[in-house]
Amino acid sequence: MARAHSEEPNHGLLHLFLVVFTFLTLYPVFWVFTIAFSGKQSLALADLPENPTVLEQLRAILPWPERWSTANFVSVFTDQPFLQWMVNSAIIAIATTILGVFLAMTAAYAFSRFRFPGQKAGMMSFLVSQMFPGTLMLIPLYIIVVQWLGLGSTRLGLILVYGTTSIPFSVWMLKGYFDTIPKELEEAAIIEGASAGQIFWRIIIPLARPALAITALFSFMSAWNEFILAATLMDREDMYTAPIGLRFFVGGFSQQWGYFAAGSIIVSIPVVVLFLYLQKYLVSGLTAGSVKG
Amino acid sequence: MKGRLSHRLRFVVGLALAGGIGVGVSFLLLKNEGQQAGAAREQRKAVVALRALTDLVERAGNRGEPVRRAVAAWQAANPSVREARVIAFEGISLEASTAPEDQGDKAAPRRLARDEKPLHDQGQRLRTAVTTNREEGGARKEEIEIASRHSGALSLACPVIEDGAVTGMVGIETRPLAAAPHPSLLYPMIAWLGPLLLLSLLALLIGERRLPLAAAAVFCLALGFGAYAAYSLASVARQRIQSHEAVAEQVQAEAGVARSVVAALGLEAKTPLVPGSWDADPQRKPRGFISDEGKLDEAVLKANVDGSRGQALRALILAGVLALGLLLAIGLGGVNKLAATLVANRQAYLYVVPAMVGMLVLVFFPFVYGITLSFTDSNLYNVNQPIAETWIGLRNYGDILGDLGIAQRAADGSLVFNYLNFYWTLLFTIVWTVTNVTIGVSVGLLLALILNTKGLALKPIYRVLLIMPWAMPNYITALIWKGMFHRQFGVVNQIIRLFGGQGVSWFEKPFTAFITALATNGWLSFPFMMVVALGALQSIPADIYEAARVDGASRWQQFRAITLPSLKPALVPAVILSVIWTFNMFNIIYLVTQGEPGSSTEILVTQAYKFAFERYRYGYAAAYSTIIFGILLVYGSIQNKVSKATEAI
Repeated sequence: MARAHSEEPNHGLLHLFLVVFTFLTLYPVFWVFTIAFSGKQSLALADLPENPTVLEQLRAILPWPERWSTANFVSVFTDQPFLQWMVNSAIIAIATTILGVFLAMTAAYAFSRFRFPGQKAGMMSFLVSQMFPGTLMLIPLYIIVVQWLGLGSTRLGLILVYGTTSIPFSVWMLKGYFDTIPKELEEAAIIEGASAGQIFWRIIIPLARPALAITALFSFMSAWNEFILAATLMDREDMYTAPIGLRFFVGGFSQQWGYFAAGSIIVSIPVVVLFLYLQKYLVSGLTAGSVKG
Repeated sequence: MKGRLSHRLRFVVGLALAGGIGVGVSFLLLKNEGQQAGAAREQRKAVVALRALTDLVERAGNRGEPVRRAVAAWQAANPSVREARVIAFEGISLEASTAPEDQGDKAAPRRLARDEKPLHDQGQRLRTAVTTNREEGGARKEEIEIASRHSGALSLACPVIEDGAVTGMVGIETRPLAAAPHPSLLYPMIAWLGPLLLLSLLALLIGERRLPLAAAAVFCLALGFGAYAAYSLASVARQRIQSHEAVAEQVQAEAGVARSVVAALGLEAKTPLVPGSWDADPQRKPRGFISDEGKLDEAVLKANVDGSRGQALRALILAGVLALGLLLAIGLGGVNKLAATLVANRQAYLYVVPAMVGMLVLVFFPFVYGITLSFTDSNLYNVNQPIAETWIGLRNYGDILGDLGIAQRAADGSLVFNYLNFYWTLLFTIVWTVTNVTIGVSVGLLLALILNTKGLALKPIYRVLLIMPWAMPNYITALIWKGMFHRQFGVVNQIIRLFGGQGVSWFEKPFTAFITALATNGWLSFPFMMVVALGALQSIPADIYEAARVDGASRWQQFRAITLPSLKPALVPAVILSVIWTFNMFNIIYLVTQGEPGSSTEILVTQAYKFAFERYRYGYAAAYSTIIFGILLVYGSIQNKVSKATEAI
């Protein structure tokens, strides 16, 4: 720590530490790549003989495939229903985003621009709902979605659940942004004779495009990564989403680590790219919301 | 229109709606109860017939000519049964049948045809059910199968038992049953319109005075609804008694048939007939309402009738409270005011309504429903029963919070922990949260301080690479680490072996299992802290350090006096947030340790999940989750105070 503000340009030790630490941090990522490109289903990075030498043992922890092969990537799409699961995930995530953002933006607009009875209570209830433990909601959600609405193992069921559960976070984010749009713009538009609907669609929405994009991307990512609700509501194998499908490869007695690794890489790439692009908004959004409490 | 409606009109409209809803709900309850009671009665009667026939078949030796003669004689005396079949597993043969399609060249005895396989399968199912129940010492599987046909007929099947072994099956199909009669619409109409008329007359006498009008309206509602409720209760009780009497009659009738068949065929056997045991539940246990000779047991009957009346009473009280609330809301002007507010702010509400409806149906309602479940002992077997029947008050909470037996002394003096105990899981969750957040903060802070070094080359590259763990979906991270901790092929054990150690069975001891989860979660949680701390560090102006150095402050003093205080406003909320995340980190525990060994490494949320979806104790799991919610709520209010305090600094 004492080195934190060293003025000397010699950072050799720091670089050594950072390189080692970064390598350790990325080791699990290398590991997945190695298994994915090994062309095998095995967990081991290398096959060891009965009494391995030190060199052979080193080989077994080196995250580099013995033989490069794309067989796992090919067969995860051809032999396994992984494409179907990806399509399910994509449809569900996109529809969730559209539904969630639409519902959130109208509500956030009202919370930002109108004064009405129940306004505070509404915002507060959204905040408290973030504290509801998922396990408490699972059984009732199962009963409502599967038994009452008959939407078990359907994409629509998951879309409705994801779409609504994403509302509170999106509303808080969007309301914060709407609050920064000056009211004078709307007042001018009213003088010009614009209706409330016109103001919302023609003025507010175009101005709020950056915030809408971020909210949309967050909704997409949370739906794309969601695991436990999907596992509860989706019974049929052809309706699995990608997360459940990946678990299916290596859960229970199944040990298809090659398929899992290849699938993980395919599933992760879009979210990792999105995440790296979005992280600065994420940090400021999360911490700012928390400070205001 | 605001407030200018007459009180009288409001109360009359209120009574019309409230009375309509109250009486209407009661009517539907009564109708439903009648249908269910009717269906249950017909099933019991059919079971009595089936069991009587089975008794005869067993006495006739299960196969051969005596069985055919017994079945024919029984069928002749039972016109309400359309057909009966007896199947013997040995030789897969149809031993006897009175079905129209089994005559002529298809007459019994013969081997079952290929298209009759479902019959054989049904027999095997029953055999499995009997043996399973016997082995488990319980009654979980149904030993009598009952199915309703589209025509309204019942199809039943029961195992045939010979010296304790299931050797065959008897199946019958009844003729289509008559539909249950509808309860009369006349009484509910009177109970609804009568009070309405009465209130209109009273209102003329009272005039525009609010409180007397309210009293009159409540009185009228109580009169109409109370009368109908009393009538409903009486008819529920009457239906019950009639059902039991009908079943008792059936038992006596079947007993008569059985005796005459026994006498005619000379089946006089070792044990006398016990007709009372024929009235059995699907596990072939006698229900206990009817004595061995076929007489109703008055005491049991009374308890049963009282039980059903109590249930109906609770439902009716609920409907009454609902109606009363509605009446007062409308009569005293609450609804009117609500409507006025809605109209005045219609634009705002229009924008909020779509989101609110979604939240109400799929967030708030499930929440309330979940809390309600926590007061029941709802589980896999009774989940479809109404909530009133499984209501147990606060017992779940008492069981969870009152069980202090975390550990016991074993015979050899060592401590044995009860890992299913709530306090063990709570303790583990707290240890889990504290260690994780500590690791996350220290590693994140250390990296942020290093990366904040002035003039450090390649800084953006390190930063992006070090964020990777946070960017990856956490369920994938969890499964990766689970693979890396594999006992035989996992890379962690390979490294240990490389240094001459033995591979560790990570998931066989609580401590090592905890380490795996800690490593996984530590790995994915430090980047968040690093990013937050780095952001805060970069916002500290460099000239402050400059000035401190001029004043002769040491590096440590600079860190204590400048760096730490500037980090605090960013780190405190981040820590608060990450405490909640870690506390609720379902995926890591659920996918990495799976609670192994023996539920010792469950955190509260995964434990609640397992109670619900692996042990199927829904009510208990709901109470567990409600307690978690309480903990989070308390934590949230403390957090609020702390953040306000930090903001003030």
